[in-house]
Amino acid sequence: MIRPFGEAALLVEVGDPERAQAVAAALASDRIAGIAELVPGLESVLIDLDPGADPALVASTVQERLEYATPHRVTGRRRTIPVVYGGDHGPDLEEVASLCGMAPAELAERHSALEQRVLFDGFAPGFAYLGTLPPELRVSRLATPRTRTPAGSVAVADAMSGIYPAELPGGWRVIGRTPVPLFDPRRDPPAYLVAGDIVRFEAISAADWDARAIASEDWG
Amino acid sequence: MIIVVDPGPLASVQDPFGRPGWRRYGVPVGGAADALSARLANRLAGNDENAALVEVSLGGAAFRIESAGIVALTGGLPATIDGAPAPAAGVRVRAGSLVRLEAGDGVRGYLAIAGGLVVEHVLGSASTELRARFGGHEGRALRSGDRLTIGTAPARPPSRWAGEPRIGPIRVVGGPHPEALAQLVARAWTVAVEADRTGVRLDGDRIGGSGEVASMGLPIGAIQVPPDGRPIVMLADRPVTGGYPVPACVIRADVGRLAQLHPGDEVSFALVSPDDAREAWRAAEASLSQLEPIDDPAGDLGWIGSHD
Repeated sequence: MIRPFGEAALLVEVGDPERAQAVAAALASDRIAGIAELVPGLESVLIDLDPGADPALVASTVQERLEYATPHRVTGRRRTIPVVYGGDHGPDLEEVASLCGMAPAELAERHSALEQRVLFDGFAPGFAYLGTLPPELRVSRLATPRTRTPAGSVAVADAMSGIYPAELPGGWRVIGRTPVPLFDPRRDPPAYLVAGDIVRFEAISAADWDARAIASEDWG
Repeated sequence: MIIVVDPGPLASVQDPFGRPGWRRYGVPVGGAADALSARLANRLAGNDENAALVEVSLGGAAFRIESAGIVALTGGLPATIDGAPAPAAGVRVRAGSLVRLEAGDGVRGYLAIAGGLVVEHVLGSASTELRARFGGHEGRALRSGDRLTIGTAPARPPSRWAGEPRIGPIRVVGGPHPEALAQLVARAWTVAVEADRTGVRLDGDRIGGSGEVASMGLPIGAIQVPPDGRPIVMLADRPVTGGYPVPACVIRADVGRLAQLHPGDEVSFALVSPDDAREAWRAAEASLSQLEPIDDPAGDLGWIGSHD
């Protein structure tokens, strides 16, 4: 379903993140006149239009394109993210484990055993929304968000995991921290984790922090 | 060089269009909070309209222009050049002139200089991404003593603006979640203390029954209503996605005017059709083009500047 979003944007509602990424990629490769930028979200794609574009015309072009062929699913790379779980690096691990009815070590073990997919990047430069967590690992956001969450914090909220690329305010519960840099505006793409990537967290000890502080070379 | 004598509460290097094209990696568009005023400043100075300039927030800022050149001051802050009020025009200044932007009716003021500011373009833009700390001048807000390099002066002459500032209510068009639209438009709102380049929160009779929606991309001007019922108008530095219902969007022609409001200012919204909104944009663009070239700014306006 395509509907206007303000006077110079369209919202294409597609239902799930994988399809949102696929639709955004397909429309980007078509270079449709009047489209300024495509922003995939969790269940939709925002199409920002050039100020002079006719929204109805672009909407019908997009509609035809999506009916003509099902966009291909975006495939990504496999990424291993080292994490120090708990302690100063993961101040909320104990509470999250308690809410889930398990020991902190078990929660860390189960979280790092998952393959999590990058659903989309949003919130802040390089912030990847990862999903989805099984029901037994889901917790609510903090009642009072932190004013400062350290860079590299690995956090969970509802059905998703996320990693703070920089020190930011945030309401997600922090269970660990990674030394890997996640955003570099001088690289292309500037985000280390992009939609479609499959992420596996690897539990490391705090002593290994420095040795793992460098992202792998295959950033792009 | 421009020397930052005093940045006031917040001054940063911006460009009017920001860095669109990177939102799928979480990078905000950014750019000038009142982009129309910033574009006008560049046009008056004879620059390309997307040249890098200084955005001052709230006033209390002073800049020393080290070498003779042409400057243009626009936006909501009263500005002076060596004590004389700055007109809506490119103004030739002598070496050593002092430009001040003071507190006023608006919040954002723009200082453009012929040739533009020379900073490294990061992800295609000169604008400062203040939270992620890249772009602009060393990826941060300006500080006293900073020295900003000026580019080669353009071939175009400076201009005087013959347009009229727009007045009247802030106009909105309906958004994708219209349930709260009637409440939003019917009520009078007050700008809350949480007003910055990211967005402007509004206080008033709170909107009820608002929940969350799946995170989605947000166009400029989108008005999100979080569960506490206090609307937030999203501006240049907004996050790329948001998860609250959007009953309406401030039209693009009026986003800059909204970014000029102070905490405590009253605001109400006038609902217009998307066609009217696009017509308002064309009118805003046309207003920017109401320029009268100044062939000889030195002879026409006289030399404004220090005489020592």
